[in-house]
Amino acid sequence: MVFILGVNFPERNLVQKSLQSFFGIGGVSSSRLLARFHIHPTCKVGELANKQVLDLTAALSDMKIENDLRRQYLDDIKRLKETGTYRGRRHALGLPVRGQRTRTQIKTAVKLNRMERRL
Amino acid sequence: MVSSFCWSCLTRLRSTPRAVLPPAVTAPRTALFHTSTARYAMPTKKSKSMEGPAKYRQAKSAKMKKKKPVDKVRPPPVGERKALRKRIVLSNPNALEVEGMQDISAETMVDARLRGSVLGLPVPMLTQLRAVEAFKPTQGWSIFRRPGTVVRRETLELGRLIDGISGDGQDKGKAVKKIVTGVRGSGKTVHLLQAMSMAFTKQWVVVTVPEPQDLVTAHTAYAPLSDETPHLYVQNHATAALLSRTVNANAQVLKDLKVSQEHPALKSAVKAGMTLEELARLGIQDPAIAWAVFQALWAELSATSAAPGFEKSFKPRPPMLVTVDGLSHWMKNSEYRTAEFEPIHSHDLVLVQHFLSLLKPGVGKSALPNGGLLLYSTSASNNPTIYSFEVALKQVTARNTGLSPSAAEFPQPDQYRGPDKRVLDVFDSPKPTNPKEGMLELQTLGGLTRDESRGFMEYFARSGLLREQINDEWVGEKWSLAGGGVIGELEKLGRRLRTIN
Repeated sequence: MVFILGVNFPERNLVQKSLQSFFGIGGVSSSRLLARFHIHPTCKVGELANKQVLDLTAALSDMKIENDLRRQYLDDIKRLKETGTYRGRRHALGLPVRGQRTRTQIKTAVKLNRMERRL
Repeated sequence: MVSSFCWSCLTRLRSTPRAVLPPAVTAPRTALFHTSTARYAMPTKKSKSMEGPAKYRQAKSAKMKKKKPVDKVRPPPVGERKALRKRIVLSNPNALEVEGMQDISAETMVDARLRGSVLGLPVPMLTQLRAVEAFKPTQGWSIFRRPGTVVRRETLELGRLIDGISGDGQDKGKAVKKIVTGVRGSGKTVHLLQAMSMAFTKQWVVVTVPEPQDLVTAHTAYAPLSDETPHLYVQNHATAALLSRTVNANAQVLKDLKVSQEHPALKSAVKAGMTLEELARLGIQDPAIAWAVFQALWAELSATSAAPGFEKSFKPRPPMLVTVDGLSHWMKNSEYRTAEFEPIHSHDLVLVQHFLSLLKPGVGKSALPNGGLLLYSTSASNNPTIYSFEVALKQVTARNTGLSPSAAEFPQPDQYRGPDKRVLDVFDSPKPTNPKEGMLELQTLGGLTRDESRGFMEYFARSGLLREQINDEWVGEKWSLAGGGVIGELEKLGRRLRTIN
């Protein structure tokens, strides 16, 4: 088991996959992170050198990920609402924000769009 | 068919009697001598389907049966499936032993009378050949009693060449460089295998890269070489694997040779009087120094004389055989990325760079100072198409025919197709100044001749795989079917078992 940014990953997991388990890190930023520390894409967590783990953790702690990023999302929505924009209103009403039709097929918006949006 | 109307009275005839009609397809066919039971038997139950009238108050929608939870089976241990996939079977106890089959040896490899016959690989050598990964899982070794290869014209030439380089004649210590090409199934890999087997009989040191693709697909660890050369990358684990292949295959030769040079990069690890085998094992044990160890080993093997202070135990180094199977993967960007996320060119990987630099004439001395053979083959089955590589190979041929690069007929790349200058540069070697060093040549393997094909097919017949009368006519037919004796196609024809009753 290896700790990366305080999360414990089993050794057989791919490093790339493990990085993508953080909220805010997808395919592109994980690939870039790997390249930055010269880790090949098929590397397993167990094969990382100690220094690489520390480097990764340091790099991750500089990034806006996980709760910081979630908070930013929510703040953005809140700002939209407070400035009285149409988008903010749509968020608050639980309706699609980006001009979709609302006659049918708005389950996702109903489920997710609200002031305290689930992320 | 007879019309059912009577033409004289225009009345409808009675229907054709039953006996004339073909039997109704729907009636179940049973015994012919009585039909009643079959006719009155209960109709066979139709398979349950969605069609048909629904029963009273029964849902007609498709019912999804709930899947029973499958009890989880433990996945096979790591590496087991790959090992099974890459397994190499060299013997088939059901095949007949071919009587009178000779083995590759110092005598048979130059014997022109054996052309067209199949020479076996000596059994003690098989472990060495396995160690350098000379066999590929897709090859048909598993259908014969023991592995053997057919002696063709190119094989004899190769035998003479290897014999000459290790002999005492005028070719002694010569370095020959060849790129082997040919259509799919023309025996390029087996040609390399034959070279390895001959090199092992002559006590050469064999260094191979059986899968060049593995070095550039970003499946093995990489790191920048040093702070001074930030654009060069070293692959420590791949280098350690290369060392381990080399040591396992050449242990006998390397045990006899002692360290004869200063190795400042390995000051603490290398001791005086160490054998080269022990030196190489250092790199296998600690992949972090594998590249330095490989460089040291290479320096030792290409040493022509000992450094001052080491003269006592110096022995002349044997010639070397270096093979790379599937060159074109090294002619493009690798899958690795720099820290800035730019792709790394394959030529920036030091291991690749090392093997490609051997194609150039050495500075001051030959690229292989103790003589030897560079055999780099292309692959036709797993092959990226690289325009600059194709042009570079044409240029190699042109240079061999004596065309100067400034001549009008010299093949030039089309600038609109984005040729890769680095690829062209690798093969752009001037004429070597050292008389012992040969020019880079291109060898194209084609089909076997009819006589060689006949010998090859007879080997199948004598192994009990082919039950045919092997005569010239039959062989000629198969030779044509195999695209003019392409050996891979001949093998397919030979192993397609057909029995004559």
